Amino acid sequence: MPSDDPQLNNLIRECSDTIAEVYEACVASQPNFGVSSDSFTESVTDSVSKFLCSGQENPPSADEVREFVRSIRSDDLFLAIACAEGNERAWWEFDHQHRGYLERISRHLASTDLSAQEVIDLVYVELYGTRVVDGVRMSKFATYSGKGSIRGWLRTVIWHALVDLHRASHDEVSLDGMTENVGEGYTHSTFKNKDLGGEDQMIDHLAHEKYRKATLDSIRTSFSSLDDHEKLLLLYYHSEGLKLREIARLAESPGSPLRDWFQRRSAAREKDPSARIHESTIMRWLDKTYKLILERFCSELSGKHGLKQEEIDVCLELATRDLADPDIYRNLASNAG
Amino acid sequence: MNNKGIDRDELFREILSAYLRSDIAAIEFEDRDHLDGDTIAAFVEGNLSEREARPVNSHLVDCSFCRHRSAELIRLDLEFAEESAKAPEAKPAPTKVSDVLSGILGKILGAGEGAVFAHQEDETKEEEDRKDDRGESE
Repeated sequence: MPSDDPQLNNLIRECSDTIAEVYEACVASQPNFGVSSDSFTESVTDSVSKFLCSGQENPPSADEVREFVRSIRSDDLFLAIACAEGNERAWWEFDHQHRGYLERISRHLASTDLSAQEVIDLVYVELYGTRVVDGVRMSKFATYSGKGSIRGWLRTVIWHALVDLHRASHDEVSLDGMTENVGEGYTHSTFKNKDLGGEDQMIDHLAHEKYRKATLDSIRTSFSSLDDHEKLLLLYYHSEGLKLREIARLAESPGSPLRDWFQRRSAAREKDPSARIHESTIMRWLDKTYKLILERFCSELSGKHGLKQEEIDVCLELATRDLADPDIYRNLASNAG
Repeated sequence: MNNKGIDRDELFREILSAYLRSDIAAIEFEDRDHLDGDTIAAFVEGNLSEREARPVNSHLVDCSFCRHRSAELIRLDLEFAEESAKAPEAKPAPTKVSDVLSGILGKILGAGEGAVFAHQEDETKEEEDRKDDRGESE
């Protein structure tokens, strides 16, 4: 069934030679999966719509669509389509290739009160699909786009199955509470209360509030001035507690935009694009970014809020004391709103 | 008032870190769609192009729910990459999938759903038998 978007349908028609080429290669590799050219094209069209059209200002060019079609994990997608359609050989192949992996992930993630076997059963049921809409069985496989590996996709399916099982067994529980019991979890480091020499009696409450508001406003503005890559990496590091090697892992794939982005910031890596992005690269990037934000922060405090150097030091000192009470930022933010 | 020897860069890092952990840096997308698992999986593996990653990055900056899910999957991805590097995976002997599914579905939903799969399998077998009769090889 073609898409509702006529522009997308035209693009797909324009790229039909590339889609046919990829489809033929899949059929040659797995002739017994029974996937028709139409269902393959429909699935590719959904993937193009999702990644190249949705949330984008401009529609993609035909060349971009061709590049996208060549970039998808066509063998994995072909397998997923066949499994969604209930092809027995495809299911056998899936079981042969991925069941061991699925079991290892489930055993790794399942805690003492969650049985790994329960998770595996639930995942198989979801993959097969028990809900029928307009006579069509809704298999989870139909949500796989081929953009990532099928194993990466399976990890998210298992993770979500685990969340569902945990919620079912613990009534309502927050995501944070759940992840403390699943896998590594994430921990908030405790705020340190630095002893900076006691209260300065010369600064009264109103002055404190003024400095706090200026500090919050300037942090917010300097952080907002970063591009999304930078913001996300800082949030991963500080808010989610990801380790440097975990962030480096994000930039490991040769086609990753994060990898390109780090490379553009390093002359040495531009010369050798295949060089690994190490934890030290991330650390250096973090150091540079802290300096950049601090410069912008100080310039906001002096420019927009008209504070002198001594007052900026007061802001830093007050903010450091406030680390013992992180709610102060939340309260200030809600008052400002 | 000065910082009494405490490194200003270090102080600022702690302040920034507290700000980022306080969740006021992010806007919860309470009434908007979250990223689906397929998109997060592709992002975590670094398989999205610049164009494809742009709206995902932007969403993850603003949506702490999706960012948290993606962070968990990044951890899992690395743990399993390291584990696979240590010990190569032993593939289990494949079982008859229809039996596995029939068992699971029967256990969870009763016999009906399992029967659906078994019926589909019968159709596949019948088709194969017809091919054999016609002398077609695979």
